[in-house]
Amino acid sequence: MFSPAAGHRRSPGVLTSLVVCLLVAALLSGCSRESAGTGPATPRADSARAADARGSSVTLAAAPVRTRAGFHRVHGRLPDARRKPVRRQVAAVVERWWQAAYLGGTYPRTGFRDAFPGFTRGARAQARRDVRLMSNRDIGGRVDSVTQEAGEVRLDVLAVGGRAHAVTARFRLRFSTTGRAARTTVVRGRLLLTRRHGPWRVFGYDVSKGGRA
Amino acid sequence: MRTLVSGWRTALRSTLLGAVLAATALVVPDSSVHPTDVSLVRVRQATGVSADSRVIWILGVGSDARPGQDMNRARGDALQLVGINTETGAATAIGVPRDSWVDIPGHGHEKINSALYLGGPRTMAAAMTGLTGIQPDYVMVTRFPFFEDMIDSIGGITVTNPRPFADPYLKKAGFRQGRIRLGGYDAMAFSRIRKGLVGGDFDRSANQQRTLRGIHARIRARAAEPGFIERGVLTVLQHTHTDAGPAELFEIAQAVAQVRPDRITTCVVRGRIGWVGPASVVFPDVAQARRLGDEARADATLRGC
Repeated sequence: MFSPAAGHRRSPGVLTSLVVCLLVAALLSGCSRESAGTGPATPRADSARAADARGSSVTLAAAPVRTRAGFHRVHGRLPDARRKPVRRQVAAVVERWWQAAYLGGTYPRTGFRDAFPGFTRGARAQARRDVRLMSNRDIGGRVDSVTQEAGEVRLDVLAVGGRAHAVTARFRLRFSTTGRAARTTVVRGRLLLTRRHGPWRVFGYDVSKGGRA
Repeated sequence: MRTLVSGWRTALRSTLLGAVLAATALVVPDSSVHPTDVSLVRVRQATGVSADSRVIWILGVGSDARPGQDMNRARGDALQLVGINTETGAATAIGVPRDSWVDIPGHGHEKINSALYLGGPRTMAAAMTGLTGIQPDYVMVTRFPFFEDMIDSIGGITVTNPRPFADPYLKKAGFRQGRIRLGGYDAMAFSRIRKGLVGGDFDRSANQQRTLRGIHARIRARAAEPGFIERGVLTVLQHTHTDAGPAELFEIAQAVAQVRPDRITTCVVRGRIGWVGPASVVFPDVAQARRLGDEARADATLRGC
């Protein structure tokens, strides 16, 4: 029970851009310094530029890492037809946080104030106090690029009356960084989510983060 | 792998709390019939609570209702006002002797335990507010049989008993001093016995707080098990009459689970034994009760007792 997720290859930076350029150059007509030097270019973006350059579609970047999302258990009754949306919506909340806190943005990066989309106001305030844990704030200024290597989300769902009301999302995210803070980092733990009158919101968390150079 | 940091935070956006008692309470054996063994009443409306409210106040009431009797129209035998700070993991319990002679809004002066009988959970909440100055967000009323089941379902609890005591009816063999293990029945007896205690109602209220600590320790120890909280909430819902929704209960349960044992503070409101007509009552130290309320209101922490 796994669902595909958005691509997570991120911020290849100069080195990756050059590699992409070389590949593109080998196939096409060349690569400008402009594309190599602009911001947090992603392989997907570079691929798009390459495709535009020759007027056809070709994917040169590596396949994006997929986040695996599935159920551990549904507690209570939840019809099959309602399970997939829950899995998709909760996984999306988790991934939005991963993107905003760890994988996305322009590195080197020091701004992490907006790293907690989908959190309640109280949880967001708490996460900002734990910002070194809950984001890449501790190493962001010494990182050139971030690449997701693995991601998994497992859900325990509380369902009452045929509807999902609360979810514990256990997750594990592994990513590598380049730059002065080159390392592999694993973030794991639990996000606690409820849905009352709107979208799923994270109201609590239990997170640990470890790194190995 | 080198662990850099680890943290556990629960931040409730709004509403409040449920009950340390059974609230999180867990895995009572399922059955096809689900009588109402717990009542959780929201005193404040959700819209009336600050979205940033960081302390949840729950008034836990042990009803002495007999089988078949409406537990919300019986006497409140155990009264604990519990506050949980969702930011710091602090929690506090302010115990009130059941015979405390207080003003019950709309009914004049009576023993506080009769507030439930006279007006239900909200009247009990109003009486507690008048004494401590703290308005509970929720009132949770439970029957003792359900309480026993709940204790058994979590595998029993461990409490630290400061002195041996016994009761010829509830626990003839008594409880020894020290760290003792309690199953469902014993936890009920430990929380209800008064006659064998030197401090009477005051010591009993303190024992109830020891029981709460034991319940919390058990819940906290198991909270990380996949599905533990979800199953607990389902069970409570099956046995509970409440106007709080499943998501609200889930948030409450998680708030209970994340309380840090080293940040729990407790106190029992003092008082003087006296008489009103033929009735033996406790005249509570209202000044102390107000001071406790003022101390704990913002952060669920008592500086003294």
